[in-house]
Amino acid sequence: MLLAIKGATIMPVSSNPVAEATLLVENGKVKALGPSSKLAVPAEATVIDATGKYVLPGLVDAHAHVGLWSEHYGQANADGNEGSNPLTPEVRALDAVWLEHSSFADARAGGVTTLQTTPGSGNAIGGEMLVIKTDTVGKMVEDIVLRTPSGMKAALGENVKRYYGQSLKKAPMTRMGTAALIRQAFYKALDYQRKLEIGQADPAKQPDTDLGLIELLRVLRREMPLRIHAHRADDIVTAVRLAEEFDIDYSIEHCTDGVAVADFLGSRGARVNLGPTFGHRSKIETRALHFRNAALLAEAGCKVSIITDHPFVSIDYLILCAALSCAEGMPEDQALRAITLTPAETCGVADRVGSLDPGKDADFVIWSAHPFKIRSRPEQVFIEGRLVHKAE
Amino acid sequence: MLVIRGGRILTAAAPGSDVPDVIDGGVLLVEGGKIVAVGGPELPVPDGADIIDASGCVVTPGFIDAHSHIGIYEDGLGWEGTDANECTDPNTAEARALDGINPADTAFAEALEGGVTTVQVGPGSGNVIGGEMLAIKCVGTIADEMVLRHATGLKAALGENPKRVYGSQNKSPATRMGNAAVLRSALAKARDYRRKMEAAAESPDKQPDRDLRQEMIVKVLRREMPLRVHAHRADDILTAIRIAEEFEIDISIEHCTEGHKVVETLAAKGIPCAIGPSVYGRSKQETRDRGAHTAGVLAKAGVKVALICDHPIIPQQWLRIAGGVAIREGLSDEDALLACTRNAAEMTGILDRVGTLEPGKDADLVIWDGDPFEYLSKTRCVLVNGTVVRCLCGTPCRSSSGQGGCC
Repeated sequence: MLLAIKGATIMPVSSNPVAEATLLVENGKVKALGPSSKLAVPAEATVIDATGKYVLPGLVDAHAHVGLWSEHYGQANADGNEGSNPLTPEVRALDAVWLEHSSFADARAGGVTTLQTTPGSGNAIGGEMLVIKTDTVGKMVEDIVLRTPSGMKAALGENVKRYYGQSLKKAPMTRMGTAALIRQAFYKALDYQRKLEIGQADPAKQPDTDLGLIELLRVLRREMPLRIHAHRADDIVTAVRLAEEFDIDYSIEHCTDGVAVADFLGSRGARVNLGPTFGHRSKIETRALHFRNAALLAEAGCKVSIITDHPFVSIDYLILCAALSCAEGMPEDQALRAITLTPAETCGVADRVGSLDPGKDADFVIWSAHPFKIRSRPEQVFIEGRLVHKAE
Repeated sequence: MLVIRGGRILTAAAPGSDVPDVIDGGVLLVEGGKIVAVGGPELPVPDGADIIDASGCVVTPGFIDAHSHIGIYEDGLGWEGTDANECTDPNTAEARALDGINPADTAFAEALEGGVTTVQVGPGSGNVIGGEMLAIKCVGTIADEMVLRHATGLKAALGENPKRVYGSQNKSPATRMGNAAVLRSALAKARDYRRKMEAAAESPDKQPDRDLRQEMIVKVLRREMPLRVHAHRADDILTAIRIAEEFEIDISIEHCTEGHKVVETLAAKGIPCAIGPSVYGRSKQETRDRGAHTAGVLAKAGVKVALICDHPIIPQQWLRIAGGVAIREGLSDEDALLACTRNAAEMTGILDRVGTLEPGKDADLVIWDGDPFEYLSKTRCVLVNGTVVRCLCGTPCRSSSGQGGCC
């Protein structure tokens, strides 16, 4: 099966845009791309004329709750926070993603083809997240998984202490309490590691299975990062403190006040999943929210992905978040990278998605105009060479 | 005298006005806080006037949001700054948004940055009758001095919100039937109160005791202000119309998420609709059919349409983005401008003061560096009452003599 998209301006993200270009797709993968004048289209190819349009990789959102959140389904689908214990590393978003959720159709309509969907921030440690494609129709979650687990969710700041401390009168009640719980959990995992090793030498001493500690050990072995919800600058610094104490891989989720500690983050080349920014400052820890933050954090040396945090910004408005970040100073190529290749790298799936390079999945979007024009629409959206959305 | 010269002026003036709707290389004269003349390049500029060069820019009326909670739902504060819903009784008609507005809300400055100069602020939708709305300008430190018009509407709400707030306390209303019954009963009670007031005009001994709640609703019955009814779902929209016709009152539909499903009814009855927030998710059952196409469908059918942010649901400064996305989904550029200016002013009852660039109107205008609805456009300069309140440098930069600054 050979597909040729002809005549568009192709923006591969990994390299410079090519005008009047052709994209060749074979068996769900990018085969080649280049100027139409130089790239021959085999006779057997199905040709789509995209003259005057823009072709970009499918968008990637590194932090969303697509398929997990209640939204218009109400309590029946409120599966984002296992709020029964502040430490639930054993839970897996994989077990809750509902493929019929309307947010998947919205993702496709907005040109989002890959996303990391994650437990919420109600718990200090919230559980495993995963990276999936958005072509859900007629599929099981296993069919669309790109990487699972792709990270362990943790959270600092207001949410955890509000839910447990304020509402339930339980620990954690303060920022100190939240950090202490996370720290204790990792030391417990290290103890568990020691006992496992003893158990290997002497099977009689084998400790009981602890699913949560097994997951935390995977974080400690850097098989997946800890992805830490932190808005306020002091919470961000606490996140780094914890990660460095245990020498684990991490990303900062939201990072609303990150500009206040931009050099601290930049000197570490920190991965920042920034957003949601198209919304109001609903709590004190989000007071620094501004679209200029993307440019400032990137300039400081952070690896910035722009996120919707769907449903907090609806997943179909990921492009809007990048465009407004561009309006506030982020160069266009960086803003596009922040919703494609950078999140693919952050999610550990850049070998498959995030840019249009030969050998990568043929996940791409034909936009009616430059995607930073507000009248531009994702006219046709492809995942692995298959049309998954066509605008009316 | 202040002159804005050289830009493409989109006046939003109605057909039949002395002023055309589009003037290229236009000239606009401001004096005493008012627009005194609008014309083409030939319009003479008085000697000694301060001149703002708007060459290459687009000049529009200050944008108006007909449905906002700015100032009563404060930015960055959480619970402490949330004063939009007096959810102690499903009818709090006596509450006034004015008494909850904090001019220090940082959202006002951002609203101006986004070209929004006037807003209608109202209570939220937690109560069936929420209280009095008013129109204010986004500039000032004393709420009373920001007021453009008091009592621009009485807020009401149908659908999920009131029945969730009270139903969860096992109080009425717990259903949509209950919502309607509370609203109907309130209107009927106020009608009785009105009758007693009118009877007292002839025999003062029959004067009823002052009842602020009833007095407020009587204003609606007298058609001094409309009932502005929060309604997302089509059936809620039709309930609002049913009750309005029963009591012969004026209404507007607020949000109107499923308005496209009852467009013929809305058009036939001439009901104005404040549409939004549409650049938002499907956060509850009654908004599951949310889309940015609703405004275009209604406008094409001849419905009077304003676009709204419902700040803080969409922050106030992004009204222009709501316009852009609606354009993408079928609203014409011309109707999008009207939905953020003239229509919003007319629906709020303040068209005599704002909403178009015509002589005699308040000099509230925005100089944009491009198409106002584009992502990458910015406000270069914003005037309210003839004073530069915001410009590209980020602070008011024009001295009282009009000299200096980046404009």
